[in-house]
Amino acid sequence: MSAKSKAKPETKPLKEPAQGKVSFFPAWCKRCGNCVAFCPRQALAQDEWGHPFLKSPERCTACGLCEMLCPDFAISVGEAAPAVADTCPAPGKPGSPVSPNHSPERLAPIPTEE
Amino acid sequence: MPPVHRSVVYEWLRHDKKFPHVWCPGCGLGVLLGSLVRTLVNSGLDKNRVVLVSGIGCSGRLPVYVDVGSVHTTHGRALTFATGIKLANPDLTVITVMGDGDATAIGGNHLIHAARRNLDLNAIIVNNLNYGMTGGQYSPTTPMGAKATTARYGHIEPSFDISALSATAGAAFVARSTVYHVTQLDKMLSLMLQKRGFSLVEVLSPCHTNFGRQNKLGSQVDMMKTYKRDAVRQERWEKMSQEEREGRFSIGVLVDRDHPTYLDHYAEVCQRAARLREEAKS
Repeated sequence: MSAKSKAKPETKPLKEPAQGKVSFFPAWCKRCGNCVAFCPRQALAQDEWGHPFLKSPERCTACGLCEMLCPDFAISVGEAAPAVADTCPAPGKPGSPVSPNHSPERLAPIPTEE
Repeated sequence: MPPVHRSVVYEWLRHDKKFPHVWCPGCGLGVLLGSLVRTLVNSGLDKNRVVLVSGIGCSGRLPVYVDVGSVHTTHGRALTFATGIKLANPDLTVITVMGDGDATAIGGNHLIHAARRNLDLNAIIVNNLNYGMTGGQYSPTTPMGAKATTARYGHIEPSFDISALSATAGAAFVARSTVYHVTQLDKMLSLMLQKRGFSLVEVLSPCHTNFGRQNKLGSQVDMMKTYKRDAVRQERWEKMSQEEREGRFSIGVLVDRDHPTYLDHYAEVCQRAARLREEAKS
């Protein structure tokens, strides 16, 4: 497997920008660091608390290895994160409507009363 | 393998079972759980026709998280319960998930006899080289010289090779993989599901909490890097000399053979008995 990845050219032109394609679910993340350590293009980094984030979106090819190596189902690649994840504080943080023990589906947009 | 939308994967998980799961941060069992669920989704099997059976240990917790038929059985007896389930309803896909201590020590007898019978079962053995849940005691797969809670000055027994053991006992399909080689693991699991007969996949998984700490192997990232360093594809392994093989292990399909399964023989015997009964009546 390693020989295969070495054979690939280092600077592969990206088909489309991978920005916004990697979503993290902090409530399920145990901050083990698998995703950051094994990202083939070093696109991820850990913040001061150990939570991963997409440090260099331009390097991400959305290969999905971080999703597969995550033991906690805390990363998903390929679909943009639900809008609520951008507008609301992270689950468990003050002001968040989501409890820290929620399921990722519950991050779906909360219907607003009109 | 086609990509699976995450919502499909999440449909196969039980959300009322207190995710995040109980395993240590970075435990390979989580990677295996993801791989297994992906493989099951991709195989197109009906959720209600799959049964996951486990014994005791860290791996015993795995079926609890998957929304298929699941049985959490006594220590080492996962294969015996699975044998009963399969014989009662041969249409089911029965998968057992066991740890190395569960499968080769407490259930060692059941493992070799399940392989000998060649019943159409799928066994996943998660090999983390010690008893992780109870605090890192040595298991039959602990390498010689390694430290464990019950071997403070180094382990003095030779270890079992699970794959070679079950291959010798008569398993139809034997493969080895690691949680680092996760795409290869997906492939091995799907081959295991397709194979008729006793199919076994040995999955090497890091236990950095106990085995890694006692042997100063670092975090699970360091341990997974050693898998990357030491794993050799089976095709290359066969061409390697004995010196080159030292300290390394092969991954991939080790055994793939077709011989009649227990169910074939059982159907034959049923027919024979029915014929004899008809003859006795007439």
